[in-house]
Amino acid sequence: MTRSTLTLRTLVIGYVGLLVGLPLVFVFQQAFIHGLGAFWTAMRDQGMDHAIFLTALVALVAVPLNVIFGVGASLWIVRHPSRFTRVLDTIIDVPLAISPIIVGLVLELVYAQGGWFGSTLAKLGWQIMFSFPGIVMASIFVSLPLVSRQVIPLLRELGDHQEKTASTLGAGPIRIFFTITLRSITWATAYGVSLTLARVIGEYGAVLIVSGNIALVTQTLTLDIGANFDNFNTYQGFVGAVLLALTSIVLLLILGVARHRERKRNEYLA
Amino acid sequence: MPPDAWRHFRGVRAASALGRGSAKSLAVTYLSLLVLIPLAALVTNAFNKGLGSFWHAVTQQESLDALRLTLLCSFIASAVNAVAGLATAWVLVRDRFPGQAILNAIIDLPFALPTVVAGVIFYTLYGPLSPFHVNITGTWIGVTVAIMFVTLPFTVRSVQPVLESFTFSAESAAATLGASPARVFRTITLPALMPAILTGTGLAFARAIGEYGSVVFISNNLPYRSEVASSYIYSLAVSDQTNSAASVAVALLIIALALLIFFNVTAQRLARHRA
Repeated sequence: MTRSTLTLRTLVIGYVGLLVGLPLVFVFQQAFIHGLGAFWTAMRDQGMDHAIFLTALVALVAVPLNVIFGVGASLWIVRHPSRFTRVLDTIIDVPLAISPIIVGLVLELVYAQGGWFGSTLAKLGWQIMFSFPGIVMASIFVSLPLVSRQVIPLLRELGDHQEKTASTLGAGPIRIFFTITLRSITWATAYGVSLTLARVIGEYGAVLIVSGNIALVTQTLTLDIGANFDNFNTYQGFVGAVLLALTSIVLLLILGVARHRERKRNEYLA
Repeated sequence: MPPDAWRHFRGVRAASALGRGSAKSLAVTYLSLLVLIPLAALVTNAFNKGLGSFWHAVTQQESLDALRLTLLCSFIASAVNAVAGLATAWVLVRDRFPGQAILNAIIDLPFALPTVVAGVIFYTLYGPLSPFHVNITGTWIGVTVAIMFVTLPFTVRSVQPVLESFTFSAESAAATLGASPARVFRTITLPALMPAILTGTGLAFARAIGEYGSVVFISNNLPYRSEVASSYIYSLAVSDQTNSAASVAVALLIIALALLIFFNVTAQRLARHRA
């Protein structure tokens, strides 16, 4: 082993360790600084419990919608290409290039009182901004392309000869979808779902604007953490932060498994 | 009659085509209600009082300072991560050592960790209560460090697969012919990796420009000094200056898209040039 390899290795480990490792260790140290009992008491904070409940509910609605849309749009773009789908393919990725604050702002411009649809919706008695539907919409917006970005390249690579074969053998479109298409994109979809879930649970800026940030009503877990820091409830904030950090570590592990399975499948196919 | 025969009747075919048609219109409606109409509303709100009012909102001193700080910090952070990301990808692919899997896994953490969590951690680590007695709140350095964290994975993850599929033959040939390792890297490896480095850096830059959650705590949002563009847009939006907020937002979007296109086109041109 040369000295330059060793130097480079040390530099990289140092950089990543300082930038990512140290903060990760620090958040756990801060959350458990008063022991397990204090952590448990903080876990049962009313504001935080409500925030966890709301975040789970938002994820429960937003993630399935985006998975259905993501898989459907991918199939459309890859299997029925037209001039229209080429535009769709580009538009779908747009949300990733938009600042979360701008996402919140644009939704407000349409769905808030005084927005494009705001007064009509208010007459119907539907409140979208500063309530649950708005939070769901912001979450969907920011995580929109995460499934299709995984599924589209895979569908392109796989081609459609298996589906065509099944069709000549007499299988209907529904049977083809469930027995062939869905099975071949399972792990890519799982990867996309984990990314979507991570993004939805962790969204801050967009949700901050559309929710109105009302404690015990529209405060998601990320907003609760931010509010606790603003109000100098630092310890409570770190307890929430550790819960989110643990969630993202679990999701990373699932991502690792999905990527591994995906690669194995591809090796088998090749 | 085989059990699946009913699928071949014309009525079923028509129903399935109809189903596909309505699924397509549902997808378009979903995209329109969530993304397209809101973006149209943004552009309309930015320009509905005329081009002069748009320009006036964007060229306010506070706006210009926020945009300048955002671009400066994003540039420094992406440049640092372009180099650090290349080094990290190199170490992950070409080096072997115990604990490498952990290093590989930890790279993705900034993608998965909520930005607000990163924000509060950095505020506590390098804020007024810092255990290291380093206070960089309210400075461009603090903003840059937060952005460096969130943009770390981009270059690594775009360079790593290219480096993995890279064949050693050209490198070993150059080495046999007497080229020094540094020269082999500069003339053979680096040019091959350049498109991937540029793509990753472009994505990192676009992400950095819009960053909010990880930056907002450590920056303290001091107008003219440490306020980033997204934070300025937020303050305009919550104080009901909707048109100004939309104008600055449009300016920021144009900058982000222009940078993304620039990086992508340059990367493609480099790749084509090599081929």
